[in-house]
Amino acid sequence: MSWHRIYGLILRYSYLLFRNPDRAADTFYWSTIDLLVWGLTGLYVERLAGNLLIINIIISGIVFYYIIFRSQGEVSVNLLEEYWSHNLVNIFVSPLKFGEWMLAVVVNGVIKGLLGFVFAGAVALVLYKVAVFSYGFYLIPFIFLLMLTGWFLGFFVSGIILRYGTKIQFIAWTFTSVFAPFSAIYYPVSFLPDWAQAVAAILPTSYVFEGLREVIRTGHFDPAKFWISLVLNLVYLGLSIVFIRSSFKKALERGLINTY
Amino acid sequence: MSYVLQANHLTKKFGKFMAVDNISFGLKEGEILGLLGPNGAGKTTTLQMLLGLTTVTGGSISYFGKDFYQHRSEILEEVNFSSAYTKLPWLLTVRQNLTFISYLYNIKDRKARVNQIIKIFHLEKLANQEVRHLSAGETTRLNIAKSLINFPKVLLLDEPTASLDPEVAAYIREFLANERKQFQVSIIITSHNMAEVEELCDRVVFINQGKVIADDTPENLAKSIEISHVRLLLTPDVQTKLIDYCSKYKLLCEQEGRYVIVDIKEKDIPGFLQKISELGISYDEISIERPSLEDYFLQKARTTTR
Repeated sequence: MSWHRIYGLILRYSYLLFRNPDRAADTFYWSTIDLLVWGLTGLYVERLAGNLLIINIIISGIVFYYIIFRSQGEVSVNLLEEYWSHNLVNIFVSPLKFGEWMLAVVVNGVIKGLLGFVFAGAVALVLYKVAVFSYGFYLIPFIFLLMLTGWFLGFFVSGIILRYGTKIQFIAWTFTSVFAPFSAIYYPVSFLPDWAQAVAAILPTSYVFEGLREVIRTGHFDPAKFWISLVLNLVYLGLSIVFIRSSFKKALERGLINTY
Repeated sequence: MSYVLQANHLTKKFGKFMAVDNISFGLKEGEILGLLGPNGAGKTTTLQMLLGLTTVTGGSISYFGKDFYQHRSEILEEVNFSSAYTKLPWLLTVRQNLTFISYLYNIKDRKARVNQIIKIFHLEKLANQEVRHLSAGETTRLNIAKSLINFPKVLLLDEPTASLDPEVAAYIREFLANERKQFQVSIIITSHNMAEVEELCDRVVFINQGKVIADDTPENLAKSIEISHVRLLLTPDVQTKLIDYCSKYKLLCEQEGRYVIVDIKEKDIPGFLQKISELGISYDEISIERPSLEDYFLQKARTTTR
């Protein structure tokens, strides 16, 4: 593992954040729009229901959901960036190892995920006086678990792109959303129909959002939910790493990455 | 001279299609080797295998006596590649591109090297411009600059001067020749510019249908073509006479204005000139073009088409 090579790629993707409006929009724009739309909806529902926790739950859900979205997006969209700019050849004729590329996009995802989280948290505070940062110590395990989810989703999506090319690039922006209804971001798992609860039970995200709501409601952090989510995340992360590595091998066999 | 690169029995199959069929060749230290062949011959696939961008179906590759697949990262520190068809990230500036690429290699003073490369390739005025604003020629120049950032001992170049204007192309050729002379850089070059290959290359490996057809110096390959072009300036009345004569003796000829060009074996030229003189075909001007690498290329490409 070479740190200067990993740093080189982080540098490459960081340059892009400030030069490509699409990447800046991914990090800052969409979270703000969601916070506006769903925050205002939450305020309205809160007034109708008279429940003061609704806005907290919705806003926290959005802010934390964006951690998964950004972590996954940074892995997959950065692979797409290399396809779009025909740069895969330039980076893989260098001594760079595929594992180093994976680590670089993960570190990049951590940086941008945290940047997006702090930004969205600040927007939530200014617009709705919802202080997600007030969860203090509990932020760390939640953020960590959601980032793990983002990485395994990102590796899985990137593996599919390596196998089938840019013709299915839409999954880089849509794949995570498939899991959103089962992750119980805004409502409890018990609210889901039985079959959906079964899906939620194998998703690490449902335990995170259930745990998050518990912290908001009672101030209590449930370690059991943390451990279940961690184990599920690690299993899926391991599988996704095997998948993306085998996809890269397949891409090399087919000569997919070398279409100049 | 020792070999810095050896490809042994390289084979690549895409499904049932045999792209490269059991080819072997070596590259000596300080040598410039031309990899030639018509489109689809297997040149690019070969280069890609040499760079690890495509896995081999069979055979082995070694650089500096070490197996490429076992020492990939270590070897690629000393190797680089440029193609007229690759691009660097187009939203990044020239300097940003060279900077991030420099971090992919083990270079001591990266900032100084980036500045040096910018200077060598006259990219100072373009350094802060985004790549998307560069012309095709400037992009090619940047690609070549990028390929030299790590002081490579082996350089693989896929049509490096395509889309460059003649002046810049000449500068690049001179630069490459100088790199070889000064630093013993070994270079493999693919090009469709035969004059460039003749000027630069010590040796040529000719590939067609995935197989090595020839491996020799450009001069010897050209010499292996026996046919020379005899170019005669004729008056219109004798042009027809000459064309009829060529037709009768099955000689290939072509009319270009007042010129008639006859393809004929070098040893037969004196007899041919005597014969047409006897027929009363007089010419105002004559030139004999000896076979070139281009003639070799055309002949091989025609005779071994798929």
